This record gives sequence, structure tokens and C-alpha cells, in this order.
Amino acid sequence: MSGVLEQARALFSQDNVLFVLAAMGRTLMMTLLGCALGFIAGMLLALLRRSTRSYLAPVRLIAAVYVELFRRIPFLVILFIVLFAIGPIAPDASLFTIAAVSICLLATAFLSEIVGAGLDSVPTTQVQAAEALNLGRLRTLRYVVLPQAWRVILPPAIAFGVMFIKDTALASQMGVVELTFAGKVLVNRGVAPALGFGLILLCYFALSYPLTRLGAHLERRLATSRH
Amino acid sequence: MSYQFDFGPAFGSVRYLIRGAGLTLVIAFVSFWLGAVIGLLGALGKTRGGASLRRAIDGYVVFMTNTPALVQVYFIFYGLPSVGITLAPLTAVLIGLVLNSGAYLTEIIRAGVLSVPKSELEATEAIGLTRLQSVRYVVIPHVLRTVYGPLVNFFVLLVLGSSMAALFGVEELTGRAINISTTNLRTIETFIIVALIYVALTLCAQLALTAAGRRSLYRARPAKRSAYV
Repeated sequence: MSGVLEQARALFSQDNVLFVLAAMGRTLMMTLLGCALGFIAGMLLALLRRSTRSYLAPVRLIAAVYVELFRRIPFLVILFIVLFAIGPIAPDASLFTIAAVSICLLATAFLSEIVGAGLDSVPTTQVQAAEALNLGRLRTLRYVVLPQAWRVILPPAIAFGVMFIKDTALASQMGVVELTFAGKVLVNRGVAPALGFGLILLCYFALSYPLTRLGAHLERRLATSRH
Repeated sequence: MSYQFDFGPAFGSVRYLIRGAGLTLVIAFVSFWLGAVIGLLGALGKTRGGASLRRAIDGYVVFMTNTPALVQVYFIFYGLPSVGITLAPLTAVLIGLVLNSGAYLTEIIRAGVLSVPKSELEATEAIGLTRLQSVRYVVIPHVLRTVYGPLVNFFVLLVLGSSMAALFGVEELTGRAINISTTNLRTIETFIIVALIYVALTLCAQLALTAAGRRSLYRARPAKRSAYV
């Protein structure tokens, strides 16, 4: 029993705590950056897929194929492809960049589906009414569609963000010093594996549980305030 | 861009990769079905059990769904030996994935059970069905229909998630890709082919499962001849 206490004291040395906190920040940054860029790109894709202009037909096809493909490839495989494909394009990209790019590629596909479902939830009559009021396409989107769509978009988008906080654990394999990698380093420093990885599990929990709660809260609030 | 693609070496090992895909499917299958057993018990406990049981199940679900499966397996694989339990990599991965999918499936099945409207149960009482009959003919079909789509999606996610086993040296699809790319040095090509195998695998699984579901869940029953004609 005293052995465990001693180990715990060694684990929570100032050095280790700062190291784990920094790694936690990196996990969060990686997820935020990838998901934010993925959200913008996903929204563009969703809008493109719903365009009706005939000259955009090939773009629509490419967008559809992109979404279908990238939702069916494991994050680990995408990480490997980006890791080796980025060399010829940007030889001095950091590991962090590579991980963020991989997250962005995947997030784009998933978030375009979520945003698309939100756009589809707005009744067509609303868009027609906006047209009748002589609102342009952009203004229709800005003042009519998005204010109604975001209630449908936000809860699943947050759930998706939580999924990605967890998926970034795989980036540890490439050497990005995020939470999981920090766990491995702790164990290499002599912390008992159960203690080290247990702490890392708790850190992940501390990151994603508040988000999960926020998502559930928003889902309830936005669902009741509809109409 | 000076990179020259050469798919030759990777194409040469497609058979080896596809046999790895077999193990991928086995891992996904085992974690799905054992997870479903946990999920069924969990959903039952959460809808029927006492307060303390419900809280325990909640704790399990919330903890498993808010932490990465990879770190859970690290914990099992590297942490358990200190209490004298040493597991093979595949076993550790399976235990991790089963516990993980058990948590998600608890939530999915519970949502299905809760989706049965009270009025439907009252209606079965009104037309004189016994309890067993109402479960057999009303509750189960209803739950299956609401739960089937999410279950198929979850199976696809499990297939993708099982790639994590590669990091423990399990020779499933991704593991085999890592194996051959370290010798043929055609990593991009190898992983592009592996990505396409994953796409084909999940697409086939999804289409087949959806078709099977449509046939058995929404089968139009031949109308029975009315008794009074």
C-alpha cells in the first residue's frame, strides 16, 4: 500500500504534471484545429453538394465520392498515408501539422454530412419565401437557412468533436507528443503502467466529459425551443 | 512533384492483405456480438434496475464512451501484468473493444427500448395480448426497427476502429499493411490499397446488412383472409 502511495507521489511531481498538462493542451489544439478547418470545408462541401447549377455537376460528384470514401477509412490508415504523402509536398511539415491535416481530412467528410442534415432540415418553403422576398442566395443562407439549421447541426457536431478527441490518441503512434504519448513517456520514466495510463484515461475523460454534457444539454434545449 | 507511384509491389500482396481483412472482420464481429450481450444487459439494467445498479451502469457507459479505446487497451495490455494477468495482444484488444462497444450498445439499445410508446403497450393490453405476446409481437419488432440502423452504423465504426489492433502487433488488415510496407518501402501505395479494401469492406457490410434488415424487418406479410368471409 505504501508502495502505491510513494509511486503516486513520484507520479505527481511538478515535472510530470506540467508535462501531462502540456500534452493535454496539444491534444485539444490538434482536435480544435482539425475540426474547425474540417467544419469550414465540410460546410462548403455540403453547400456544393446541394447546388443545382449544371456546370457544378462534376464537383458534386467529386464531393459525394470524397465524403463516402473518407467516412470508410480508419483514421490510422489516413495518418499513415498523410505521413508519407506530405513529404514530397511539404518536406518540413511537423508531426503536429500532419496529424492536424489528417484530422481535417476526416472531419471534413463527417461534418459535411452533419451540416448537410442541418441544411436539409430547413423546409424548402422557407427558401422559396426568401426567394419571393428577393433575397440573394448568400443572404438566404445567412439570414434564413443557417439560423434554423444550426440547432440541428450543433449537437451532433459536438458529439463528433468528442469522438475526435479520442481518435487523436492514434497520433501518438507517429510521435506527436499528445496525451497518449505522454502516457507512454510516463511509463518509460518508471511509473507503473496501470497508474500512468489510468491517469491518462482520466485526463481524456476530463477533456471530453464536459463536452459530452454540453452536447446533451444543447440537444435538450434546442429541441424544446424549436417552433 | 517527383514522386513516382508504383503499385506493383503492393498489388503483389493483395491476397496477404485480404486475409488480414478476414481477421479485421472477425475482431469487429466478436466485439459486436459480445458487446451486444453487455449492451442488452446494460439496457435492461438501466430501464428495469434499482437506483444503485443504474448509477453503476451509467458510470461504466460514461467512462468508456469518453475515453479512447486505444488507451483503454494500453491500460489492459500493460497495466494488468502488474497484478499477474498477462494477455496476448489480440486478447487484450478484444477485451478492450468488447468493453467499449458494450458501453455504446447499452446506449443504443436503451434508446430503442425507450422509443416504444406507452400507448402501444396499452393497445396490446386492450386487444387482450398476454405479456409475452406483446413483447414478441410489439416490443421486439419496434425496438429492432429503431435500433437496426444505428447498429449497422456502429458495426462499420467497429470495423474501422479495429485497425487500432495493429499498434499491438495483431496482424489484421492495417497490421499486415505495416508489415509489408516496411519491406516493400511503398508505404503510400500499400496504404492506399488498404484504404480501398476498408472502403469495400464497410460498403459491402453496410449494403448487405441494410438489405437483410429491410427484408426481415419490413417484410410485407401476406394478408390473412378475414375470418368472416
